Amino acid sequence: MRLLTTAIAIVLAAAPSWAHHSFAAEYDAKKPIKLKGIVTKVDWMNPHVYFYIDVEDEKGNVTNWALEMGPPNGLQRAGWTRNTMQIGDEVVVDGTLAKDGSKQANARSVTMASTGKRLGAASSEGTNP
Amino acid sequence: MKSLRGTGFSLSLSAATFTLLALVIPIGAQGPTNDKGSPKGPDPTVDLNVGRLAGAPNRRGKNRPPARPTPHYADGRVNLGPFPGEKGMWEGNAGATLATNVRGLDNPAMNLPTNLKIADVPFLPWARAVYNYRQASTTKDDPHVRCKPSGGPRMFHTPYGMEFIDMPDQKRITIIGVGGPHTWRTIYMDGREHPKDLDPTFAGHSVGHYEGDALVVDTVGFNEKFWLTREGIPLTEHLHLTERFTRLDSDTLKYEATIDDPGAYSKPWTGGWLINWMAGEEPYEYVCQDNNRDVRHMYGGPRD
Repeated sequence: MRLLTTAIAIVLAAAPSWAHHSFAAEYDAKKPIKLKGIVTKVDWMNPHVYFYIDVEDEKGNVTNWALEMGPPNGLQRAGWTRNTMQIGDEVVVDGTLAKDGSKQANARSVTMASTGKRLGAASSEGTNP
Repeated sequence: MKSLRGTGFSLSLSAATFTLLALVIPIGAQGPTNDKGSPKGPDPTVDLNVGRLAGAPNRRGKNRPPARPTPHYADGRVNLGPFPGEKGMWEGNAGATLATNVRGLDNPAMNLPTNLKIADVPFLPWARAVYNYRQASTTKDDPHVRCKPSGGPRMFHTPYGMEFIDMPDQKRITIIGVGGPHTWRTIYMDGREHPKDLDPTFAGHSVGHYEGDALVVDTVGFNEKFWLTREGIPLTEHLHLTERFTRLDSDTLKYEATIDDPGAYSKPWTGGWLINWMAGEEPYEYVCQDNNRDVRHMYGGPRD
């Protein structure tokens, strides 16, 4: 079963979603980032879904990060619903850091800590700058 | 043909309704019903097999059924929508460009092989400088990102697709673009001419006619508030745009745009790309303005 889940996750993560804007203008493809945190807000809206997580560093300082995903429709095709991620959920995000130095990243995939389920985030990375 | 007049045919028409309507309108089955002498057989300038393979990155996957012949209505004109009883829409080809730029945003296999290289586009010096700046800044200033409507070619390589709604009784075609601020274009098919004193707009004023299986659209009256393409091809209010939409088969639309804009180019030039059919898809609500937080993070800078 785990193998099946992994296989599905890989397929979903590979499904591209064209962004409505230039990926390269906003994110630095050479700066991948992995974040683990607690969901504080989910904006399930066009043109891109945003969610926010509190990330605690080793000193106990908490920083709120903004994560951009694809549009709601693209996420639904990738297996999401608007209730997949809830405030308070712990998630691990693989993504790409914003160029402007803000606490923002483009999410490539999101893993739900409670289930280990990994979902593609309908990111436009790797498909078109 | 049963009249559609007074049926409340609106721009908010859903694809499901359109499909029902398509069942009402007598539509010729696939096959050579065109009586206007349109060319049959493969388009010699396009290798559909290459397009197909190149289309692999799109969401429809590799296992789709083989393409069927171009569908036509009973009167012979090309059907740019779904087959009767089916669903589907065209996919904005986000990777395509009007002119090949090695450093740009292109997906060469989906571009027309006749496209110019960007160095050969007859830019006036200012227009080339603007284009180069937009490239150097990784298109961070794209008006589309600010949820401005995308006129001309920009609509046809915008993500999330588009559909043609053919209203023969009203002698017009509406093109709905999903991926933007709820944008549509009207193509008048009643033989009218362009008005004399047009206020510049994003979509301009479009009149169309058929040439075989091609819908040919002539547009003037553009404003300068958008980019002609995703990668930053500029335009001026002097633009006279001619577009040809040729449905090569059930799954492929050939898009060609001729840019005649003496304000930005020293002579007319043409480019285009292939557009894939997304079988089974229907338009959905996409409103760019709803939660557009990208603009303030449009940093620009080098691509790598």
